[in-house]
Amino acid sequence: MQPSLNATVFIVDDDASVRDALAWLLRSRHLLSETYATGEEFEAMLQAGYAPAQPVCLLLDVRMPGMSGLALFDKIAERGLVDVVPVIFLTGHADVPTAVDMVKRGAFDFCEKPFSDNALVDRVEQALRRSGELLAARREKKLVQGRLAELTERERDVMRLVVEGLPNKLIADQLDISVRTVEVHRARVFDKMDVKSAVELANVLRGL
Amino acid sequence: MKPRGVASTGMPPRHVSAYVRWSLWALLIALVAALLVTLVWLAGRYEASQVQSKLERDTADALGDIRSALTRNVQSLQALQAGHPTRATWTDEAAQLLREHREWIRLEWRDAALGTLAFADTPFRAAPFARLGRANAQTDVSLACANARRVSGPAYSSSYFLPQLDGLGLEVMELCLPQVTGGQLTGYVVATYALSEILADLVGPQLMRSQDVSFTEADGTRLALHGTARRGSRVFTSQQLLDLPGNTMVLRMDSWRGAPDLFPNVLTALVTAMSIALVVVLVLLGKDMRRRLRAEQDLADALAFRKAMEDSLVTGLRARDLQGRITYVNPAFCEMVGFSPEELLGNTTPAPYWPPELAVQYQKRQEIRLAGQQVPPREGYESVFMRKDGSRFPVLIIEAPLINHHGVQTGWMSAFLDISEQRRVEEISRASQERLQATARLATVGEMASLLSHELNQPLAAISSYATGTINLLKSQPALQAASGPDGTGAPLPGAFTDIEGAMRRIAEQAERAGKVIKSVHDFVRRRDKEREPVHPQELLDAIMPLVSLQARKLGMQVETRVKQGLPAVLCDRTMVEQVLLNLARNAMQAMDQAHVADPSVVIEVRRAGSAAPAGAGKGWLEFSVADKGPGIPEAIQRKLFTPFFTTKDEGMGLGLSMCRTVVEQHGGFLGFESNRPQGTIFRFTLPVDPASDKPA
Repeated sequence: MQPSLNATVFIVDDDASVRDALAWLLRSRHLLSETYATGEEFEAMLQAGYAPAQPVCLLLDVRMPGMSGLALFDKIAERGLVDVVPVIFLTGHADVPTAVDMVKRGAFDFCEKPFSDNALVDRVEQALRRSGELLAARREKKLVQGRLAELTERERDVMRLVVEGLPNKLIADQLDISVRTVEVHRARVFDKMDVKSAVELANVLRGL
Repeated sequence: MKPRGVASTGMPPRHVSAYVRWSLWALLIALVAALLVTLVWLAGRYEASQVQSKLERDTADALGDIRSALTRNVQSLQALQAGHPTRATWTDEAAQLLREHREWIRLEWRDAALGTLAFADTPFRAAPFARLGRANAQTDVSLACANARRVSGPAYSSSYFLPQLDGLGLEVMELCLPQVTGGQLTGYVVATYALSEILADLVGPQLMRSQDVSFTEADGTRLALHGTARRGSRVFTSQQLLDLPGNTMVLRMDSWRGAPDLFPNVLTALVTAMSIALVVVLVLLGKDMRRRLRAEQDLADALAFRKAMEDSLVTGLRARDLQGRITYVNPAFCEMVGFSPEELLGNTTPAPYWPPELAVQYQKRQEIRLAGQQVPPREGYESVFMRKDGSRFPVLIIEAPLINHHGVQTGWMSAFLDISEQRRVEEISRASQERLQATARLATVGEMASLLSHELNQPLAAISSYATGTINLLKSQPALQAASGPDGTGAPLPGAFTDIEGAMRRIAEQAERAGKVIKSVHDFVRRRDKEREPVHPQELLDAIMPLVSLQARKLGMQVETRVKQGLPAVLCDRTMVEQVLLNLARNAMQAMDQAHVADPSVVIEVRRAGSAAPAGAGKGWLEFSVADKGPGIPEAIQRKLFTPFFTTKDEGMGLGLSMCRTVVEQHGGFLGFESNRPQGTIFRFTLPVDPASDKPA
């Protein structure tokens, strides 16, 4: 379970020593981290147009002066980034009910301070994996969409009927073209969509 | 007013006495009037009798005058005959005499046979006997002379009417004086008197003023009259007999007075004046009496008012003399202690309403009081009394010396207030205050624990992270892995690394242990965290208002609460939210007090929150706001406002607002503040509505 090397863990905490200690801990497990002292700083980064390309995870302190962890979570949720940026709340004892609430609203997890450190890192890795998977899925989806965009009108019609599982003969009848033409279109669709069989094509399309 | 019978028994006593009083007055006035009338009448009568007796005297005087004059005349006539006059000389002398005596109208010298020797008529009248003729009077003359001869002295005839030439007439009478020489009758002198002239000339003129004099016969027939003109109509009459030899007449005097004069003379006037004075005095007395009656009535009213006042007082009153005996108690006092006035009056120590266990102490207090060594406090002092049924109750006693109108102290007056109800209210108020304060302490401790746990957890987390990180590194370093390899050169090293790793593990363990200790403390303080109940906003305000109002009154501020009608209940930890409201209200008041704001006021408002409520879609929220008119919050302070242990107050811990925010956030709400217009600050926080109670809205 070696995480991807360019995965990034964001740490938002007002306490410098906690930030530093977490960064040290993560580095000991070969994880890179970026630290932010306030929620506002992180939000500024989001506003600058950040879109995660690599797996990421956010360790977020609930209680901070200025913008609280909860408020920052709301901002992230507003931008629809809750999925790709899994949030793990760092809470004191008093904030546990709040944190539970947050988890219900889409946060990845919460962790009570002081935490069992390696367990935290394990959760971070899980979060990163989730993020990575989501990002990969997104990338895949984008790729498929790009390939679909390259298809011609006629090829798209043929592809739809192929995915429905119709044999070439029936497709030709329905589209009122020759079986030969259907075969050409079909080969071109498989080529453009980078699949080898109709089953594979259906799987790719189902991911959309 | 209708007249009422004296005997009407159904009449109220007051009317009876008024009736008696008025009838007495009427009787008195009637008596006085009768007395006055009698006096005036008597005075009148006295005066009349005075006048009468004077008249009698005058009559007697007049009679005397007439008698003596008649006697002198007789002598004059005798003198006429003296010295044997001749007829010529006699006539001369007679004429002379007639000139001097108007009462005579004729003098005759007659011989013994009554033949006329000489005569003379009065010069004042023209021939008196011209009409009648002297011969007609012969009978009277001879009767008189016969009489005279018999008595040998002058004698008179009865009177007769002598008509005159002018149609009138005279009443005349004859006087016959016999002439005796040497025992031998020689003749007579006859004089004819006119009666009216007798009255005119012989009666003193002073007697004639304001009265008539007349001669009458015994039967009242008037013979002659002389007098002034009549004045007035009241007549006093006096009659006396004029007894002459040969004739008897009545001399009558009539006095005329101004009859209808009410105050005929001084005496009557005096009596009348005195009567008037008497009446005036009576009237004054009556007025005085009336004034006294009114004063008496006023006094009675005042007394009744005072009695009613004493009876209706809620304050118990008690008076004691200088020996400590109870001399007066009012009904309120009796009701307070449950004893009747008879049981209390005259009592000395120990009083029946003293609790036996405190009697000795009270006895001492009373001795000090009676000795006058200590002036009782003006604001009163508190004590405990016992009711008749043995129950105790606290009283407030206000005592003052009882000083009479001579300025001498005659005892002590005390007022009593039953303060058990007041005590009970104070007790309740104190209990609620204590409860809120206890909660406040608990909340503060909780906040403290929360803050401490947060603040300590941060370094503990750091320690633990560093330790774990170090262990991770130790495990993954290839060099160290190699050093702990099987070859013997670096033999001591692996042991050292193992030690370091163990130490690091223990560091992490200890950090975790410290975290657990903190967690257990925190959990102990925050046991109540999960208690959520539906509470109506008004109930929350009602719970804190007594305490808030108390402080507001002390600082002279107004507190206004505005709760919209029909608001649903909120789901909250009641005591903690009360603390939040209390904290915010106190902050508001303290801010205004420090800045000495004019017309300070706090407005606590509850209303439905707008869409600004934080996430939690579908849920309703109520917004509570506490607005003051203070100086506002400077920007420098605004940033640090919620920082724990930050405070602008001398005695503050800096946990209040921090606690408020924790509580509100635990409810999922939001606490914030903004500037109030035109000045001041508004703190707002939101709480979730209880879904069950929000249905009808």
